Amino acid sequence: MIEGSLAELQANALARIEAARNPEELEAVRVEVLGRKGSLAAVSKDMGKIPAEERARIGKLLNSAKQTLETALAARQEEFAGQALGARLESEWLDLTLPAPGIRPGSLHPVTQIQEEIEDLFRSLGFTVLDGREVEDEYHNFDALNIPADHPARDMQDTFWLDGGNLLRTHTSPVQVRGMETLPLPLRMIAPGRVFRNESVDASHEHTFYQLEGMMIDRDISVANLIYFMKTLLTAVFRREVTVRLRPGFFPFVEPGFELDIQCLICGGPGCPVCKQSGWVELLPCGLINPRVLRMSGIDPDKWNGFAFGLGLTRLVMMRYAIDDIRHLMGGDLRFLRQF
Amino acid sequence: MKFSYNWIREMVDGLAVEARDLERLITIRTAESEGVEEYGAKGACRARVLAVEPIPESHNVKAIVETEQYGTKTVVCGAPNCRAGIETIYVPLGKKKIAGVESDGMLASAEEAGINRDHSAIVEMAVEQVFTPTDSIIEIDNKSLTHRPDLWGHYGMAREVAAITGGTLTDPVDVSLLPAGDAVIRVASDDPELCPRFSALVFENITVAPSPLWLQFRLSAIGLNPINNIVDMTNYIMSELAQPMHAYDRALLNGDTLTARPARDGERVTALNHEEYALTPANLVIADARGPVGIAGVIGGLDSAISERTTSIVLEAANFNAASVRKTSSALKIRTDASMRFEKAQDPENTTRALARAIALMREVCPGARLAGGVADWKREMPAPPKVRLKLDWLARKLGRPVPAEEVRAILVRLGFGVSDDFEVTVPSWRATKDVSVADDLVEEVGRMIGYDSIEPKPPAVLSTVPPDFPERTYYRRARGMLASQGFTEVHNYSFLSEEQAAQMGFDPAALVHVLNPIAANQSVMRPSLIPGIYANLVENRKHLDSFRLFEIGREIHRRDQGLPEEVPHLAAALYGEESGLLELKRVAEALAAEVRVRPAEARGFEHPRRTAEVLAGGAVVGRLFELHPSFIEGRAAILDLDLRLLQPHERRASKYVPLRRYPSSGFDLTVLAPTRELVGELQDKMAALAGPLLERIEYVGQYQKSDSKSVTFRFTVGAADRTLSSDEVGAVRLGIIEGMRRLGYELTV
Repeated sequence: MIEGSLAELQANALARIEAARNPEELEAVRVEVLGRKGSLAAVSKDMGKIPAEERARIGKLLNSAKQTLETALAARQEEFAGQALGARLESEWLDLTLPAPGIRPGSLHPVTQIQEEIEDLFRSLGFTVLDGREVEDEYHNFDALNIPADHPARDMQDTFWLDGGNLLRTHTSPVQVRGMETLPLPLRMIAPGRVFRNESVDASHEHTFYQLEGMMIDRDISVANLIYFMKTLLTAVFRREVTVRLRPGFFPFVEPGFELDIQCLICGGPGCPVCKQSGWVELLPCGLINPRVLRMSGIDPDKWNGFAFGLGLTRLVMMRYAIDDIRHLMGGDLRFLRQF
Repeated sequence: MKFSYNWIREMVDGLAVEARDLERLITIRTAESEGVEEYGAKGACRARVLAVEPIPESHNVKAIVETEQYGTKTVVCGAPNCRAGIETIYVPLGKKKIAGVESDGMLASAEEAGINRDHSAIVEMAVEQVFTPTDSIIEIDNKSLTHRPDLWGHYGMAREVAAITGGTLTDPVDVSLLPAGDAVIRVASDDPELCPRFSALVFENITVAPSPLWLQFRLSAIGLNPINNIVDMTNYIMSELAQPMHAYDRALLNGDTLTARPARDGERVTALNHEEYALTPANLVIADARGPVGIAGVIGGLDSAISERTTSIVLEAANFNAASVRKTSSALKIRTDASMRFEKAQDPENTTRALARAIALMREVCPGARLAGGVADWKREMPAPPKVRLKLDWLARKLGRPVPAEEVRAILVRLGFGVSDDFEVTVPSWRATKDVSVADDLVEEVGRMIGYDSIEPKPPAVLSTVPPDFPERTYYRRARGMLASQGFTEVHNYSFLSEEQAAQMGFDPAALVHVLNPIAANQSVMRPSLIPGIYANLVENRKHLDSFRLFEIGREIHRRDQGLPEEVPHLAAALYGEESGLLELKRVAEALAAEVRVRPAEARGFEHPRRTAEVLAGGAVVGRLFELHPSFIEGRAAILDLDLRLLQPHERRASKYVPLRRYPSSGFDLTVLAPTRELVGELQDKMAALAGPLLERIEYVGQYQKSDSKSVTFRFTVGAADRTLSSDEVGAVRLGIIEGMRRLGYELTV
């Protein structure tokens, strides 16, 4: 008898578990069937009335029914939990095309960016980076660089003169002089910075621009070494193998002096408007440091020699980004500066 | 400087290189070329008119011409002088009907042929002076010739070309033409430094007339205007030998002596350009018995100028000090072909060579002229030609490549140097004035002639070293990166301001560093602050943007009583928008240095009086944080201005690690009532001081504004390194703060 009602109870409960429409209904079934006062508990209470020889068998049946129901219940609970999670996830749909909140990073000035790049490159080659003054005296800007008093570079039209007899540096070379005066030998240094030339501003001329000059002084520095360093530099700057050529150029600071040209990166040599059909673009002045310059800074040219070069950072920036108006660079217009 | 290819070719035998290739060679070996241009009418060649027939009812004639390059041609010509037998210039133009007759090309006027301005007739060449009416002009960048006085004449360039191409150089000068005997005039120099040599020659029986057409063509081709035979001859010699010359009308000179001397105060001279110049003793003049007749090395005087009435001339070829000529030329603002050359330090040996050349040319340009007397020649003692010892192994080390002895010798000899067996090199006079004096200068001569492309790039054999670093530089760099990551974009502003801009920000213009020669009146002082520039950036950018952030790292320039001005690196950052960005900027300051505090400060005129503070680091003022005064800008512009020199030592840096707490901390909140304008920072300091040593940290939670006061809530975290605090201990700390604050007169909501 008891067997029959147990089977019926189980079948009935399973049907109800299956039919439960939500976790609450399922919980109600659990309480009713498996709870402390539930129908299974009621059956087990009646176990005492069952003859002892039957008790073990019926007990087994009871346990089996309980397990079956618990398993079914758990499966159904899991089913509901899965549905609930699914519903939650679905409700949490988010439009990821919305703009990201918060601050957009700003940009560094393109001149700063290229300057930092070249600084890193030279530091990796063992060069010190030096800062110099923007206001200089005549000695450091001219005399010590072998630019004597009658050199055209000293004319009023090229140099900004300040009261007190000072001037705005016309190149970063004075930093090299101060470097030679203060750093121990051998030395390798670069000096990036702002320089000034007294000329009217238009799309291709600025009175304020940025240069990077460098020098290396050691025991036995040759033209071959100079070419090596310049090629290494330019290959890194332009991120490709560049062909360079040296030709004579006159700068009082060096002897021999060179203009270094690179083969036009636009046409690769045959000639185009950028290189004015010559196949070459003039890029930087350089040379072996004039022994007079070394001597003026207290360096014995019989023991030491070296090379020096100058690189126009502003020009390099204009080349790299194809900027057609130099005035943008000192213009402070964020619509321009944010592009970099 | 323009160079005529034909002129150079006349002096270099066997020159087989075309103009375009020669231009490239010159660029690589000698000086920078700016390009080659063809000169003369396109395709022009010499031609002889064989016959002329009239054309009915036309003023034109039909001419049969035999051309040098195109065979016999028929052209229609309207020139009055078109007649059989003349030597003229033919220009191929294609066939075209004129006055009903087919004309194949044209005969050119002097203007069309590029000889001079005359277009009244076709060219008639003198039979004995026919010339090729086309040329290629190579223009060399003057800047690349500043150290080469000899290259300011064609002969100097021809020497280079001969050295480059292996051709034979022909000297156009025949010094044996110089007449011996006493001169009929006297020349002198009162200052052997400023005028080391003064040579002159007198010609009589002069007829001033136009120069031969070949000479006019040549001068026009290199950009000089033909004037008359005498003036053109001096210009021709200057362009050939780099020796400027001047011709005086002898009849208009006073006395028989020309002296180079400093001008006397108050002396004046009217120059060939019809301008009158007031002179000072800083200007060297050429004077006759009455006074200056020219400004030495710069320009001649009008009173003794050559004219159609001239019959006798004094031809001057002198040498002047480069610096003196340059100073006079820039002081008087006259730049001439002569001054440009003397500025480069010309060769004193060249003066009599130029006179010898004049004797030869005079026969062509003024056939009736006669020499009067010998050469007048004043010169100081000339230094012996400098000698330089060149060691070949040293040369190889400098270049990074060995060069065979015979090659070195050949190069130097072709360039005019003397070379002894043991390589003692004698510098020729035309390279000795300024250019070559030490062995390093010879490295260049050899290097450029062997070609720098023959040198293999080589890394130097030097020690690897870690370069010393400068903490300021790395700091600026980190600061830039940090600002950019916080949304600030870097600007570069000029170092110049107008006086008004400076005054607007409270600076006394008189106390600033002034530019003596500003590019514009509004850029006349050096910036004593980055703020005026940043202010201008704000004004400009708000035209396009509703909100933005920008910054600059640059130098302030401050006047000092003596010596160089002080340059102070500053960082200025600005945040513009509808809401105040002051606290954001404060966060930026805190990120840049440890223990940054701000303290309300008295506002300057352009600062918001209630939104201005000083920024402190390590207890010292390092900058300011403020909003611009609303009368300066619409919207809110917050600005942070920091002295990086003062800030950098406070850069955030961990020195020693603090062990992590092993025992849990406890926390509690307290809310204090305070007057509305009581500073939260001060409240926090007071409460922190009362909390005692168990306080780990105190944080601001928030504040509520009431009508005449505010309540401010802080969160306290307390703990100990060696134990967990008991609730009694935590309670004691809390009570201590409450009672302490009450003693100070504050109420707390507990």
